[in-house]
Amino acid sequence: MESILYLLHGFSEVLTPFNLLIVLLGSLLGTVVGVLPGLGPTSAIAILLPMTTILDPTQGIMMMAGIYYGSMYGGSTTAILMNIPGESSSVPTTLDGYPLAKMGKGGAALGVAAIGSFLAGSIGLIGLVLFAPILADQALKFGPPEYFTLMLIALLILFNMTGFSLAKSIIMGLFGFLISLVGIGISSGVPRFHFGFDALLGGFEMISIIIGLFAITEVLKGLEENRVRIKHEKIKNVYPNKDDMKKSMFPILRGSLLGFFLGILPGVSATITSFLSYDVEKKISKHPEKFGKGAIEGVAGPESANNATSSGGFIPLLALGIPASPPLAILLAALMIYGLTPGPVLFEQNSQMVWTVIASMFIGNIILLILNLPLIGLWAKLTEVPFGILGPIILMVSILGAYSVRNSMFDVVVAIIFGILGYFFHKYQWPIIPFVLCLVLGPKMESSFIQSLEISSGNWLIFFERPISLTLLLLAAVLIIVSIFLTKRTKKRIKQETGEHMEF
Amino acid sequence: MKKFCLSVLILLGIMIAGCSNEAGSSDSASYPERQIELVVPFAAGGGVDLAARAVAEYLSKEWGQSIVVTNKTGGGGIVGAQYALKEAKPDGYTVLVNNNSSTTMYEAGTSNPTITSKDNKFVSRIAEASLTYAVKADAEWESFKEFSDWVKANPEELTWASVGPAGFSSFGVAEWLDSIGVDYKQTSMVSSEGASDSTAKVAGGHVILAVHNVGEVYSLAESGKIKVLAVQSSERSPLYPDVPTVEEEGFTSLKVKWWTGLSFAADVPDEIVEKWDEAVAKMEKDEDFIAELEKIKLEPSYLNSADFTKAVKEETELYTKLAETTGIRK
Repeated sequence: MESILYLLHGFSEVLTPFNLLIVLLGSLLGTVVGVLPGLGPTSAIAILLPMTTILDPTQGIMMMAGIYYGSMYGGSTTAILMNIPGESSSVPTTLDGYPLAKMGKGGAALGVAAIGSFLAGSIGLIGLVLFAPILADQALKFGPPEYFTLMLIALLILFNMTGFSLAKSIIMGLFGFLISLVGIGISSGVPRFHFGFDALLGGFEMISIIIGLFAITEVLKGLEENRVRIKHEKIKNVYPNKDDMKKSMFPILRGSLLGFFLGILPGVSATITSFLSYDVEKKISKHPEKFGKGAIEGVAGPESANNATSSGGFIPLLALGIPASPPLAILLAALMIYGLTPGPVLFEQNSQMVWTVIASMFIGNIILLILNLPLIGLWAKLTEVPFGILGPIILMVSILGAYSVRNSMFDVVVAIIFGILGYFFHKYQWPIIPFVLCLVLGPKMESSFIQSLEISSGNWLIFFERPISLTLLLLAAVLIIVSIFLTKRTKKRIKQETGEHMEF
Repeated sequence: MKKFCLSVLILLGIMIAGCSNEAGSSDSASYPERQIELVVPFAAGGGVDLAARAVAEYLSKEWGQSIVVTNKTGGGGIVGAQYALKEAKPDGYTVLVNNNSSTTMYEAGTSNPTITSKDNKFVSRIAEASLTYAVKADAEWESFKEFSDWVKANPEELTWASVGPAGFSSFGVAEWLDSIGVDYKQTSMVSSEGASDSTAKVAGGHVILAVHNVGEVYSLAESGKIKVLAVQSSERSPLYPDVPTVEEEGFTSLKVKWWTGLSFAADVPDEIVEKWDEAVAKMEKDEDFIAELEKIKLEPSYLNSADFTKAVKEETELYTKLAETTGIRK
């Protein structure tokens, strides 16, 4: 069990004052952004990412991870108190959380959500410790053809997941690829698609596009919607009583296990598992009629599933470089900024860093648990910030962020252009997730494709002849069928509960 | 709505004021006044990257300014070079950490190079390292000579990893193949993102040969995943006392050697270049720095700006000849 030793060492690294501060800052910042109405984990990471680039890789990634689970937690606060899901994965939380809040039990719901998140995060972490080394052991056997098939499959499954038509997703994905091709060719060293502009020779900076699409678009959407201040329900008691805890125990456990194991599979997002968990709890409950009217189990299950999926998603992300959900795709982009290419080799060559980050996630979860319960009142206040103040702040942080990655005004212009584009994509219902995924994975896919053909001297059969690659393709067929089924189901459930189409 | 526009305007105003402050001062006497970026055009963990980090650590203490290392990979080092030499402001706060791949070899091996020596203002050479030939640990060949004989018999079966078609490995391989009379074009190059990527591909059995410097193959050789067949230096490397040199194996004309050095964009003021060269000269005598280089398996080999520029010019000529005869340049 080498990984346990690494993990222990990881803990000792995290438990230094500066690193603790980083984790604290990350999870607090994440919570703050996650609490702000309309901003979920994806936008939170996109907006805050450039700020972390001044740190060491390990600390930067620790902070990003903190922002990620902090914002997940923040999202459930708005879901419960204001009936606003920050991300589609919090939709099930609103179903019983908001009724609970109206009954004056908002505090208890938030408390159960926090405890559930913490337990789920810990279960997910144990899973990471057990499974990641197994994957990493197989590391070197993954050659370019395996990577290429893996990424192709992940993309197809994720495309299917967006909740839009596959054709639209593929078109947006190809658009993302096209953008990723601009600049100097990865394996040829020859510039392409620069149309004679020097600024385009270095290619587009992923982060400025992501900031545009997620942060600036959000500001434009907010302007149009003319967001009114929504009154949140009063909070009386933060701590759940014994009875609440007793009722929530098993939903939390079930939600965590379900979320984690499904979360390992690429293409199963937190939205899918949180809905599944909600439905499971409702089905096995002795009082299914209470669901939707304020059943604490209906908050405990989905919230735990939601969080366990997020930590489960770190396995394919770190071990294979495959993001299972949009926020993880942006984390992948963040890792790349630091020159760390996730994948089997990451565990082989940067294992200490990986385990330090994993340990930091555990400690971050504890910090969130300790801080969030007493701070719930403050978070609730934050939701009252009017858009007239919020919008300009997001805009400023975005523009600063876009500029700071390579100190270039060109990137700021790119961010603004993609912000406007993102607004229209949203308005005319074109999914942006496939675009972002292809933008992030594009360069890696291109190089593994070229490398595969270089190895086989141009023989395309290389993708089918190698055992691992072939197995992956066969598994993919099964996974795609499962994913189509789960997506259809989740799409239907979202439509039932909210009456609208959502990207998830 | 009105309120919103107003606050946007105010914030933008603050930002613009902030930016202009920074751009205003470029007095070389007080250099460096703010953070310096060391651009590494290769993946983290490679020789250039480790050398850059050692330099950053020493000089940031020396000057009391933070120096950050950023990895901008791709295109055999050209993406990063492009960024540091052409996109960044030539104010002396963006420094490129070069090696042969992104300079002499790229220029020699590419028919229309986007970056040439003329775009570089060379500061100083930092370190050198010998080249090694590495194959998978359980490969059938026991010696470099045996391996060369196999390649002579089966040239079309040889795959080797290189960072870009005109990278360091390409020239090493081309020179070696030329010396044993094998047609370079019959073998297949597999493009790689850096030394750590190439060696992992060799260890996994996806590519047959990796040609990188002594330090870059060390960790996987040490853990028994790859096997070093020969070291290209006049004496055996202290890292691999049991591995023969290429000369011992009967190859006498092989010269390709890895180096890393610093350069600026062509428009950077000379005073700043001199300031750097002086600091580097001092650094190369510092015991801690030498120890640091030893730790990352590089040999200090300082050259001042003039000598470094001259060495680069000579190497470019030599490699251009090699590129033309073997067919690296298409």
